[in-house]
Amino acid sequence: MNDNMPDQTQQPRVLRLLEEILSLHEASGNCDCETCTQQLDCLAELVTSGHNAKELLPAVQDHLDCCQDCREEFEALLCILRAEQSGSC
Amino acid sequence: MYLTNLALPDNAHPKGAFMAERSNAQWLQELTAESEVRDAAIQDLRQRLQRGIYYYLSRERSDLSGLAAEEIVKMADDFAQDATLRVLANLDSFRGDSRFTTWATKVAVRVAISEMRRARYRDFSLDELMDNGDLKPDVGTAISSTPIDRPESAMEKQDALQKINQAFEEVLTTRQRAALEAVVLNGVPMEVVAEQLGTNRNALYKLIHDARQKLRTYLENQGLSPDYIMNLFEP
Repeated sequence: MNDNMPDQTQQPRVLRLLEEILSLHEASGNCDCETCTQQLDCLAELVTSGHNAKELLPAVQDHLDCCQDCREEFEALLCILRAEQSGSC
Repeated sequence: MYLTNLALPDNAHPKGAFMAERSNAQWLQELTAESEVRDAAIQDLRQRLQRGIYYYLSRERSDLSGLAAEEIVKMADDFAQDATLRVLANLDSFRGDSRFTTWATKVAVRVAISEMRRARYRDFSLDELMDNGDLKPDVGTAISSTPIDRPESAMEKQDALQKINQAFEEVLTTRQRAALEAVVLNGVPMEVVAEQLGTNRNALYKLIHDARQKLRTYLENQGLSPDYIMNLFEP
């Protein structure tokens, strides 16, 4: 095996880890999961009304960018609100 | 310092942006009223939550695509039932920042997703992951991915990765290493990892946030800025 050939399985892992660490949003430390969850319903209504979440609730948006659990719940809530708005459910 | 309230500008408040069958005040009044009025409100709420959850499960969850429609209906029924009970038990915590039904849907989403996470990761073991995993970047692999005509880049990578490995060893606690391995690299839900670490999701988020911050500060003190590192390792 050629030692200079890129390893397709390991390299993304290294990059992913570094990206996660280095792309840290400074403001995300100001909003924890509990605070984010308190704001999710409000934020979801804002977004479905066409407002920019990042401008109105930047700390919450930063948290969502860093927290996969909160992001999954937010996206699910958005999905349901949009379906209700459009009469799909 | 953690925020307790995030104020919105007056013109951004979403109240009234949707048509609702009941106002927030009506929901609260009827859900705490006497027998028949209360029963009807509870039934309406449960049905509304069921419709929303069913839509989400059937349209957005590709991991459930192998289930029969009746099974998804049953799941949505169960989640809506649990969520309705949780909403009723927590009416005092509704602050009126959104429509009542949006708040209740948020509760239902949490109930449904939490339950599905627990089911999906029922056999997950953090100890096993840590026994098999190696969080530290592999120096040899990263070097070998450097194009053969750029030996100076290989040297830089080797130097940077040695410092990164040193950072993982010196800066992180065992719990922080476990959390990063599971959540960041393997995508295990924080809720699941928190349970195995004997903590809660909020505390785990802070633990990971602190770990990221410590690693970043350490690397910057070693002369490795985020931009430099990413440029170095980008394919």
